[in-house]
Amino acid sequence: MTKKTGDEPTVDLLINGVKVRAEPHMTIVEAAWAGGVPRITGASCLEGVCGSCRILLRRGQEVSVALACETFAEQGVETLFLPPPSAPRHQYELSDFKDGWDIQARFQEIFPEADRCRHCHGCVQSCPKGIAVEDGVALAAAGRFREAGEAFFECVMCELCDSACPEQIAPAHVGLFSRRITAFFHLRPPNLIHRLEELRQEPFSGSNNPAPLPGSDEKESS
Amino acid sequence: MTRGLSLQAALAAYRVDAELAPLPQPLEPDALLNAFHPDHLRDGIATLAVGPNAGARCPRELADLLQAEAYIDEVDLAGVEVTDTDVLVIGGGGAGSAAALAAAERGARVLLATKMRLGDSNTVMAEGGIQAAIEPDDSVQQHLQDTLRAGHHAGNPALVAAMVGDGPGVIRWLIRQGMQFDQTASGDLHTRRAGGISAPRIVHCRDYTGLEMMRALREAVIQHRGIEVWDQAPAVELLSNENGRKCVGAVLGSLDGQKLRIVRARSVILATGGIGRLHLHGFPTSNHLGATGDGLVLAYRIGARLCDLDSFQYHPTGLVNPPYLSGKLVTEGIRAAGALLLNAEGHRFIDELQPRDIVSAAIIRECREGRGIHPDTGGVGVWLDTARLERGQPGLIEQQFPKLLARSRIAGIDPRRDPVLVYPTLHYQNGGAVIDVDGATTVPGLYAAGEVAGGIHGHNRIMGNALLEIISFGRRAGMAAAISSHDRGPKKITLEHVNQARRALTLAGLPLTRRAPQIMPDYTAPGKDFQIAANPRSKS
Amino acid sequence: MTESLNANLLHPQQRVGDNMARWREAGGGDALRIAAQDPPAVLTAIKDADLRGLGGSGFPVWRKWEAVANEAPRPDKYLVCNGNEDEPGTFKDRLLLQETPHQVIEGALLAALATGVNRIVFYINPDLTRALAALQAALGQWQGSDMLQQAGKALGRPITMELKPSSGHYIGGEETAALEWIEGKFPFPRGKPPYPAQDGAHGCPTLINNVETLANVPAIVRHGADWFRRQGIGKATGGKLYSLSGDVLHPGVYELPMGTTLHDLVLVHGGGLLSGKPLKAVFTGGPSNTLLTPADLDVGLDFDSLRERGASLGTGAMIVVSEGTGIVKQVAEYVRFFAHSSCGQCVSCKTGTATLSLLIDRIDTGRGTAADLATLESLYRMLPGSGRCHLVNGVAQLLDSSFRHFRHEYEQALK
Ligand SMILES: Cc1cc2nc3c(=O)[nH]c(=O)nc-3n(C[C@H](O)[C@H](O)[C@H](O)COP(=O)(O)OP(=O)(O)OC[C@H]3O[C@@H](n4cnc5c(N)ncnc54)[C@H](O)[C@@H]3O)c2cc1C
Ligand SMILES: Cc1cc2nc3c(=O)[nH]c(=O)nc-3n(C[C@H](O)[C@H](O)[C@H](O)COP(=O)(O)O)c2cc1C
Ligand code: SF4
Ligand code: SF4
Ligand code: SF4
Ligand code: FES
Repeated sequence: MTKKTGDEPTVDLLINGVKVRAEPHMTIVEAAWAGGVPRITGASCLEGVCGSCRILLRRGQEVSVALACETFAEQGVETLFLPPPSAPRHQYELSDFKDGWDIQARFQEIFPEADRCRHCHGCVQSCPKGIAVEDGVALAAAGRFREAGEAFFECVMCELCDSACPEQIAPAHVGLFSRRITAFFHLRPPNLIHRLEELRQEPFSGSNNPAPLPGSDEKESS
Repeated sequence: MTRGLSLQAALAAYRVDAELAPLPQPLEPDALLNAFHPDHLRDGIATLAVGPNAGARCPRELADLLQAEAYIDEVDLAGVEVTDTDVLVIGGGGAGSAAALAAAERGARVLLATKMRLGDSNTVMAEGGIQAAIEPDDSVQQHLQDTLRAGHHAGNPALVAAMVGDGPGVIRWLIRQGMQFDQTASGDLHTRRAGGISAPRIVHCRDYTGLEMMRALREAVIQHRGIEVWDQAPAVELLSNENGRKCVGAVLGSLDGQKLRIVRARSVILATGGIGRLHLHGFPTSNHLGATGDGLVLAYRIGARLCDLDSFQYHPTGLVNPPYLSGKLVTEGIRAAGALLLNAEGHRFIDELQPRDIVSAAIIRECREGRGIHPDTGGVGVWLDTARLERGQPGLIEQQFPKLLARSRIAGIDPRRDPVLVYPTLHYQNGGAVIDVDGATTVPGLYAAGEVAGGIHGHNRIMGNALLEIISFGRRAGMAAAISSHDRGPKKITLEHVNQARRALTLAGLPLTRRAPQIMPDYTAPGKDFQIAANPRSKS
Repeated sequence: MTESLNANLLHPQQRVGDNMARWREAGGGDALRIAAQDPPAVLTAIKDADLRGLGGSGFPVWRKWEAVANEAPRPDKYLVCNGNEDEPGTFKDRLLLQETPHQVIEGALLAALATGVNRIVFYINPDLTRALAALQAALGQWQGSDMLQQAGKALGRPITMELKPSSGHYIGGEETAALEWIEGKFPFPRGKPPYPAQDGAHGCPTLINNVETLANVPAIVRHGADWFRRQGIGKATGGKLYSLSGDVLHPGVYELPMGTTLHDLVLVHGGGLLSGKPLKAVFTGGPSNTLLTPADLDVGLDFDSLRERGASLGTGAMIVVSEGTGIVKQVAEYVRFFAHSSCGQCVSCKTGTATLSLLIDRIDTGRGTAADLATLESLYRMLPGSGRCHLVNGVAQLLDSSFRHFRHEYEQALK
């Protein structure tokens, strides 16, 4: 979709092993399209929020990771779209949590590796969003889930930190766990609760209103 | 569009503290829409010749796909591996995830197949928020009225009532899935106003509402024991029973040349999202790469009625510059927070909080009448005056719109210092598959939820109603599909509907050369149409 | 299992375990006495003998020694005897430690005298329990012994010897990672420079040598450099402990002249392949090296001859693969090992090897696509040189060489 400006010199780079000539204002995704690289299957939002366009990037001797839709074509770089990460190994469902007092114990069962962080900083170096992943993991391991979750606020689920973690802590999932458990146990907004209570006493009867959505008043034990 | 100012000249002329003239007398809304809204363009519109909506008008780009040949026929299915499930959900955005979770909560075995990776969607990109009438000075009734009015009373009141009534319960359900929302100091959910709504009603998570929603739902789906997820498995066709009238599953392809797979299901839920990547009338889009209207094509071919195919939303504030972000959104939340729109002459020209279709038409008018700003990378736009907003409320952009800032930083722009160039961008498909309050389409066994479904937003959607719709109807469809999947399962799986559609195309004298659904935009692999790689056969 | 032509290190008289008296009967301790007269002569002998680092690098030993010898103590100087041995297919150091620990200790003391080291650390993989126990018992007999005191006198200050179990991590065998662990930290390899010779353990000049390297020193001192040179074949000097494993009839550790041909090692000493199958390939290394094929049967297994073929001797591990055994599965197993071992400091290494492992596993289990294969190939080509240590290069080398010779097997494995 990019319009050529024409007056910039082109750059030569390598994408997935294919030589590509591109304009420097193009992102790696656009350069791949323009350069006839076989179809890129890992790109979606093109604005850095879906985390799917994970690439490995080589400049000289230095190799790093990035998101392709936020990385621009550069003379001489080599890039490679990484395959999607494998499914997470840590299993839990929020509905299994009956009691807010044993979150930390359950967390340790679910993420037993989390307190084995060896402080290699791999996760931090990997994160395209500049998140203090390592500190977030430490907060979660210390049971400070609200703060841990806040650290992961801009996480885009690219899971580059998971791939980078030698202890297989799955930091991205630790972050998401922290955010989710915080909402699940601690988000109890009075204005919402009040309106739900009003609707329970007097269900909404708009024109032709069907039965309210079943299950929206299911019992919960927290 | 030759007159107007260059970007440099406009930037040089811009003064953050310039005195603003009062708004001119507004044009009558209908006249403005008629003259300037893209839905009212006379060129590039076709009339459908076949299918349940024969006779209806819609943009040519869409008509071409709705009246295209399928990728596959029976010979392609010989020997293909078959997987059985109770509920097949097609699409891994918000609607698909909500449907899968709801069906699984009801004990159904669920398979969720998505085109790219679970979460790659329009949902993840939503910024502004989700509507739910929860404030004391608001009511579900007001929400109903606002929605119908903004949609020019073309929405189905029963569907709208169902959705707005679900609103507060949807927020609670989302919290139970682990989604966070912004709160006030006293712990209430923070609400925002937006164009076309009568009370503060948009709840949000800063300007990352969709990301936060998708993160929580994605994790919930991945972690759910009753849901299996197939990534990189786009549906290329539905399956029907012997007479082609009931949906009994789908054929899944792949983006990188793997084999076809057949899924036989008791119910199928389409949750494939929107059509932005069809670039109707050549517009840029805010949508993700997979928004190619596949669900509409699949539903139409199997005989489901669609509605409002001539009505699309062009979001007023798509970025123009830098080119790689062209069409990407600046959230409406920023206008709700007080940012103004200015033309090349530095004048306001519209009440910024009017409904989106009107604001978009007004911007198009400014540009067409020579009051636009032209960057030398192409395109045209008007100012969204973020710098003035920052001056009036220092720190606001950083606190409430971190996504805007993060994105600008990469592009080397500072919206706190300079205004941002914007132009309408193809954003949302107002219509879609006709559904009832259970999300059932007009074809038995086939449900639709989310942007692919129609009937709620009429001819214009107000901010925050899409995210509400996907959860409300996603869950409704999921639950209904789980219940109806107690039926005995399908016996025979055929492509009878494909045969019927082909006959209709031939009878109408339409070519069989074009194939659909599109799956990926052409420009992602120029010259290489999407192919069913396992079956490379040429067909005359 | 160690029948050999010129058993020196593993000569039956040397294989006395921790029994010091029997070891001394066989001449143990003589070298130390000789060296105490003229410590600098040890370095000269090592140089003339062209002893190479047997921990994998093949680097001339005297160069490292000289560098350490030239440094002033700050306030100490360290010698680390590297017995972390954890690579698949390498099992020689444990044998030396178990069977002839005094020889290793004497070698370490000789190195200390030659380089002015006063603190010796035996850095041993705790999973090698028998080796650890033997060395511990042997060290106990040295503590307070007259030999140790004489060595201290020759040096001019007391020499301490300490047994330090390593972390057991494979990466802990890298020399600078060993230093980190000795300092009480996680064994992350350090960036170089500074080199250990200048700034090693606790900031002191530090010499690091492999167990086998040090074990060779006493014999050189006793019999002279010329004798040592004559032990090797062709230009190669000395002997080598080859760890032979895989589809071979008689696996084990073979002490043979450095430069013995692959043919002789596998087909003569190893007794040929299991069930008489033809040879398909040999992983050398540990497996982080270039593959050898039947075309290489004539190559002398020494550092220089192998380098001429674009391969390397590594630790002298030879993992034999017979015709009929799949290469992809084996490579996949090694890649998994290295991916697991990557310490995580360099994103390219950890993410790169983890992704390589994911892709090759997928291909090996019949789930891989042509796109996966293309990604795998492009990926390993991007990695060399991007890490702090050699690990990432080794993986790339292994893949590169397996592709060069066995690309068809990868293609056949695709679904
Ligand atoms: C930039 C942006 C900002 C927005 N902001 C807001 C907002 O603030 N508030 C609001 O209410 N709404 C907003 N919207 C609209 C709202 O986000 C979407 O309408 C809504 O999220 C659609 O959800 P969905 O689940 O129906 O579709 P999507 O979230 O798009 O999900 C569709 C899924 O289906 C998959 N798919 C497509 N085709 C196939 C196929 N053939 N086979 C298998 N899978 C397929 C896609 O890959 C995708 O995963 C915004 C939209 C955009 C683009
Ligand atoms: C990843 C890695 C692992 C290593 N593991 C060992 C080991 O277990 N034992 C060893 O002696 N050398 C190992 N080395 C080599 C050491 O870094 C170092 O070169 C060696 O101990 C020096 O001894 P030498 O000169 O006597 O060979 C390893 C190197 C790397 C890169
Ligand atoms: S925290 Fe991990 S998953 Fe989240 S954005 Fe950073 S690297 Fe990606
Ligand atoms: S990558 Fe893992 S081990 Fe390393 S710092 Fe991060 S969380 Fe800790
Ligand atoms: S190359 Fe690999 S093993 Fe070596 S330091 Fe870097 S991450 Fe650690
Ligand atoms: S395409 Fe979504 S983050 Fe790059």
